[in-house]
Amino acid sequence: MNDPRTHQCDAYAENLSELALGILTGRERAATLAHVDICAHCAEELEQLARAADAVVRVAPEAEPPMGFEVRLFERMGVADTPPRRRGTARRLAATPRWALAVAAAVVALAIGLSIGWNTGPNRGPGPTALTHVHAPEVAAADLTDHGRPVGRVVTYGGSNPWMVVMLADAAGNGLVTCEVVTANGVTHTVGTFTARDGYGSWGAALRVAPHDVRKALVVSSNGRVIGTAALS
Amino acid sequence: MIDSGSSDEALLAGMAMGDQAAAVAFVRRYQRRVFGLAYSMTSDSSVAEEVAQEALIRVWRHAPVFDHRRGSVTSWVLTITRNLTIDALRMRRATPTDPDDFAASAMISLEHNPEDAVARGDISDVVRTALGDLPAEQRRAVVLAAVYGRTALEISEEEAIPLGTAKTRIRTGLIRLRAAVERLRDAEEEHR
Repeated sequence: MNDPRTHQCDAYAENLSELALGILTGRERAATLAHVDICAHCAEELEQLARAADAVVRVAPEAEPPMGFEVRLFERMGVADTPPRRRGTARRLAATPRWALAVAAAVVALAIGLSIGWNTGPNRGPGPTALTHVHAPEVAAADLTDHGRPVGRVVTYGGSNPWMVVMLADAAGNGLVTCEVVTANGVTHTVGTFTARDGYGSWGAALRVAPHDVRKALVVSSNGRVIGTAALS
Repeated sequence: MIDSGSSDEALLAGMAMGDQAAAVAFVRRYQRRVFGLAYSMTSDSSVAEEVAQEALIRVWRHAPVFDHRRGSVTSWVLTITRNLTIDALRMRRATPTDPDDFAASAMISLEHNPEDAVARGDISDVVRTALGDLPAEQRRAVVLAAVYGRTALEISEEEAIPLGTAKTRIRTGLIRLRAAVERLRDAEEEHR
């Protein structure tokens, strides 16, 4: 098969990637575009490179927008009488009975209270890493530790819309960290990412696995190091 | 009838015709991706919300002019989001998320069996895996160019490297990502 490239192609090959990424400017851009217009080989190269370039933004992880996002957006769009949202935080809260919200609030309050006590209380030693059941049977809490050193706390809330709250305090993570849970069958599930600032941060998210099935929670730093582990068994 | 199971193209067409149910379904399908991209680029929830709202408003307004021959709905929506985020960062003179952190958060969200990404036909995981396989300096250059819209000259200045080195990193990295994306397309062709 004949090579469809022309002797000019080599001169423009260097620029095709930047053209595909939309970052080529000025004369180089104009000249490369003019060549692509008359060269089927480079046009095909450009198309493939552009597909790869466009795909890079797809790698960003999904994240739940803040509470009320949808309401504010639909107001701006003039969309009225929206049908109930089937998935996501806002609908989960709307669909959650008041007693469940109260329990969730209590969980957060309890977790924060435990966290504060553990940070500032007189008995500052490492807390128990085993599961601590509190009053509601579907609520569980455990300390996060890093080689035995307490670095935060995990609280899960069951019910029909499971939640998880993670708090970090004096952990070895800064920037983006990810929370994972390991279920009884040994499978690891990513719950989501959040930002820790100098080892501190708190975060809540919907839990897509049954809390009673969770055996372990992990917080992993952006370089892949596990900076906190909690045993939930 | 348009509902939450309709294709992206059908929802956009419905939005273009003023169908509120289509708009609601589209927003609910895309809001996590749009907000996730803006947040990954800014590490700032309030900026990300502002950008995500504006991006979805623009998609809604411009739905009538979407041309599916020029690319997928997902690429269009995420490109709008990316461009608005870049503008928001520039206007605020805010520091964007470090490209290494952006890439790390992407790879963290990779499923635990990345080798199956091609079999699953998941382009996001295919690119995540390919991005993770790049040498760090190429990965950084590709993220700076493809996500943050930095030119080769800007990358050379920011990274304190010669312009030729910046161009080579961008080109080599993108060519390797292209190979991964084309393998996925070939696999999809075989299944047809």
